[in-house]
Order: sequence, then structure tokens, then C-alpha cells
Amino acid sequence: MSLRIVVCVKYVPDATGDRHFAEDLTTDRDAVDGLLSELDEYAVEQALQISEASDDAEITVVTVGPEEANKDGLRKALSMGADKGVHVVDDALHGSDVMGTSLVLAKAVEHVGYDLVVCGMASTDGTMGVLPALLAERLGVPQVTLLSEVAVADGQVTGRRDGDTATERLAASLPAVVSVTDQSGEARYPSFKGIMAAKKKPVEELQLSDLGIEADLVGLGGAWTAVDSADARPARTAGTIVKDEGEGGKQLAAFLAERKFI
Amino acid sequence: MSFTFDHVSLESEERRELRASVAALGRSFGRRYFTDCVREGRQTDELWHKAGALGFLGVNLPQEYGGGGAGLYELAVVLEELGATGCPLLLMVVSPAICGTVLARFGTEEQKQRWLPGLADGSARMAFGITEPDAGSNSHRITTTARRDGGDWLLSGRKVFISGVDIADATLIVGRTEDARTGKLKPCLFVVERGTPGFEFRQIAMDLSAPEKQFQVFLDDVRLPAGALVGDEDAGLLQLFAGLNPERVMTAAFSLGMGRYALEVAVEYARTRQVWREPIGAHQAIAHPLAKCRIELELAALMARKAAVLYDAGDDMGAGEAANMAKYAAAEAGAAAVDTAVHTLGGNGLTEEYGLASLLTASRVGRIAPVSREMILNFVSHHTLGLPKSY
Repeated sequence: MSLRIVVCVKYVPDATGDRHFAEDLTTDRDAVDGLLSELDEYAVEQALQISEASDDAEITVVTVGPEEANKDGLRKALSMGADKGVHVVDDALHGSDVMGTSLVLAKAVEHVGYDLVVCGMASTDGTMGVLPALLAERLGVPQVTLLSEVAVADGQVTGRRDGDTATERLAASLPAVVSVTDQSGEARYPSFKGIMAAKKKPVEELQLSDLGIEADLVGLGGAWTAVDSADARPARTAGTIVKDEGEGGKQLAAFLAERKFI
Repeated sequence: MSFTFDHVSLESEERRELRASVAALGRSFGRRYFTDCVREGRQTDELWHKAGALGFLGVNLPQEYGGGGAGLYELAVVLEELGATGCPLLLMVVSPAICGTVLARFGTEEQKQRWLPGLADGSARMAFGITEPDAGSNSHRITTTARRDGGDWLLSGRKVFISGVDIADATLIVGRTEDARTGKLKPCLFVVERGTPGFEFRQIAMDLSAPEKQFQVFLDDVRLPAGALVGDEDAGLLQLFAGLNPERVMTAAFSLGMGRYALEVAVEYARTRQVWREPIGAHQAIAHPLAKCRIELELAALMARKAAVLYDAGDDMGAGEAANMAKYAAAEAGAAAVDTAVHTLGGNGLTEEYGLASLLTASRVGRIAPVSREMILNFVSHHTLGLPKSY
């Protein structure tokens, strides 16, 4: 039977753009172009590699997000080589936190059917990095997170997690949820053939009711956290430039000493 | 997603995705890679082969021969976007655009099978030899001549300013054959493999910072099998013109990419460089020339896309005028952008670190090749405006 790989991806505002919050303190999606979270490209890449190493595998990319998340998010993963997409889109999802998102993803992943779920290490907008763990908990399957190397063989997923003080080799029986880091290997660029093929790949669109999820469990209302206020990061102040005219070293030392760095 | 003119009228989602993917590939190499290759005397092979593997070099070639099945528009997107990241691949102008197009449209089945899959994935390269020392812009004076010898051809002549002959597996040579009936010379094209006896080439020392080199080519009774003649002996002129429009559109893409790269460097500098209270980009003497460059690049890009759209629609004649205008406009806009960029940076504009100075000469190439801007003005004068000819 074929290996069913599901990759969870997120549509995020371009991190290189000038990102803001909307009036309700959710992500302002209008001000900045959206795209597939760069960290999720690593997940797609690892899924493709696992698929290529397997005799028979199918990759489904799943996303929860607004209308544009299909064309500007899922499409990228499909053009990289994933086989089909699932897009959960529903007005009631607006303002969901990671608890809500993980609930919807869990239902969507179950809807698709899976042996292995692959996630990125974090999203480039929320950057919480807890979704894979929450998802595994909701699915009731093992989680093997933050891998820099991952492989599947004989009903097991194995991988390497590089910590600050130790490298761990981990394994779990399938089905399981894994997340991969940005050290797992450069994500491929969509080839021209991939780009042309992506448009013809099926994307199933689902609403909350299709997944049997009550709307009050998600969205701003269902969020476990509430954002009271948000302030823009203060502008960086101009630094001090020390010109070396024979006394540069002393001036540097004085600067550091004044701020108690030395 | 916004519904701008570009999106609705010209750039399909696939084209924009192609643009994005090529740009991402180019950025992963970056200008430093390109300048390192030039300094070390290497070719930009890593980028070439990666672009080939992703199907970018052969987007315009037929699918049944390993290409992408798209058109000149897409091929120009690839070259422009690579150029905009500081990594243009000059041989795209000749290998897939001229040679690939000519072979795909007019080549024999054997020639297509022999060459197109390689040109499409980048594993093979083909140079293009038309310019001659005594012909220059006057292609009617081409003297490289082929004569029959049994079943073979013997090709003799000289070519000059031929790009990339050293790294090309073969060169598509424009020669002439004698019409058996009238005795008049008519153009015809031959595929000459690099190692063919009698085919020799010598590098021309150029003051250009480019990985691809320029060559003089000497053909001394080069014996070619009958299969080296492209297509039909009587259709040479048609074949030649089929290749020249793509060449002009691709030269425009080359200039546009370079101009965009230079402008981006200059804008970033103008936004961050501060000597008085405001960044220098706040001063109109700096800002306005940059804005003008953007306008001119955008206009030239539109014309280049028009030419590509016409060409891909099969309108060779209509594409000719647009391709000439696009090549002219893009070369002017590209050169102006580089010039403006250098002066925006002042002294830094001439340093190696910022990498703009070498573009001053490189950006002139678009004004000179494949035809000079004066010849394009001639074309528009005679062809478009109906003015009398001076030659």
C-alpha cells in the first residue's frame, strides 16, 4: 500500500515585506503579499525526498488559510512536486490561534488519511514552533520534531535532531508527525514542468462543516489567547561610529566599559 | 492577488511563477558567484546546468524533444530574471533562442533528435556564427560559402565576434550556397561540430567582464556531411529570420535584466546612504534619474513582451518591428540604468565591491549587438516610416 504523506503548510505574509497588524490585531494580509512559509518549503522538500526513495508514495499538502492561500501558497508546494492539495477555508477561521489551527489541521489530516505528517519547524509569521507537537497530540500519534535528517523505512520514521549539546537519533513507528528544520537540506525550486503541472493538480476545498468542527472552537472567539495591544518595534537608533585615528581601540574599550560589557 | 495590467494582459500565473522560481534560483547564486567566475576565468556552469535541469533553458523548445513546450516569452523571462539577480547567461541568446528555434522550426528530424534534447536541458550548447569581418551589419555581403563535393559540403569563410565557440558543442554557421540555376548566392545554415577538421577559432581579447568569450572563426574547406545543412537549401533566408527575432528579444531581456540589477543596487544605496540629514535618495537630483530609469526599463519591457507575444503567435513580420524596437529601447534603458546607478554611488560606483563599473562596458553590448542601434533606426526609418534608403 502506498505511503501517504501529508505536509502541513502555512500561507504567511512575506517576511521581507513591511508587516503590520490589522485593526483587530490579527495579521494584516492586505498590506503585504502572501506566500508559502519559507520554513515549510523544507518540509515539502523532505516529503519529496521520502517519496522519491519510496516505491509508492503520495504527497498531499494541507493548508488552513484565506482564499489566496491556495494560489499563492499551496500552488508553490504543488509546483515543487506534491501530488494534491487540501485547502480549509472558512470565514469563521479568521483570527485562529495555534490551538484552533492545530484542531482544524488534525481533522483535515484525518480526512485525507496519513501515514506520515511532515511540518516545518515553525511558521515565519507566528514563529511559535509548537504546532507539530499539538497536532501529534490531537492525532494521538508519536511526534519526532526538529529533525535535520529524516527517512522512512519498514514502517518507521527515523531522524536526527541536532541540539546545542547533543545529537539525538530518533525513531517512531508510523503513523507519526515529524517536523524538519532549515538544516534538513535546501528546498528545490519549482521546475518549469512542475509549474505547468501544478495548475492541473487537484485541490480539495473544505469548510469547517465538512470536517465537523464547531465554529466557536476556532477563530478569534475560540482562541485560547487574546491580543490586548501591539506596538511596532521601535526604530533602531543610529549606532556610534568609532573612527580609528590612533585611539580607536581605547574608544571601543571605553564604549564597551560604559555599557558594562567589559 | 492584485489584478494589474501585467497580470491580466500579459503574465499568466504560470509566467509569474516561472519568474519567481528563476529569480529564486538566480538569487541563490548571486552577483558574487558571477563576478568570481569572471575573475577566475571560469564559466557559470553550475548555474547553467541547474537552470537546465529545472527546464528553464529549454522552456521554448518542443516538449517531444525535451523542452518545456512554451515560447520565446518564457525564455525571455528566464534570461531577464537571471540578469536581474546579477547572473545573466549570455549563451541563452544563441543556444536555445536562435539555434534551438531554427532547428525546431526547420531542422530535419535527425537534427532535432541529435540537438534539441541537449539544448533543452543545457547538456549541449550551440553557438551562432553570422557576423563576418567584411560584412558587419550588411548580411547580404556574407562570403562564407558552401559548395558541393559529392554528397558532402565544403564550407569556407571567416566569422568574427562569435560568442562561446569554445564551450559550444557546435556552431550554427550562416553561409551561402550558389543557386544552381541563377548563379546567385543564397543564405543557408550549417551545423558545424566543434572538432570538425578545418574549423578553427581564436579568442578575441575583449575589454568585457563576461565569462563567455568572443571568437574569430576560420573555416577552411570544412567537410560537412549532407545532414549538416539545416532543413531546406532553398529556405535559408526564412530560417535565418526565424532565428533573428528571438535573438533581438533575448538581447532586450539581457539588457533589461542588467538594468534592473543596476537599478536595484542604486536604489538600495540611495535609501541607506546618509551624508547629511536624509538618505541621499531623498534628494531629487538622485531620485529623479532613478525614477526615470525605472520608467524606461518598464516601457522597454512592455515592448519586449509585445514582440515575444507576436512571435509566439506566429507573426514573424509583426514581431520583427516590435523586436527591433524592444532591442533598441531595452539597450538604451539598460545602459542608462547602469550609468545612473554608477553616479548614484559616486566613488563606490567604481569599486569592485559594488560590481557596477564592469557593467558600464557590458551594458554597451546591447547597443552594438546583434545589430547596432543605428541599423535599428535605419530599419524603423525605412520599414516603419517609409523614408528613402541611404544604402
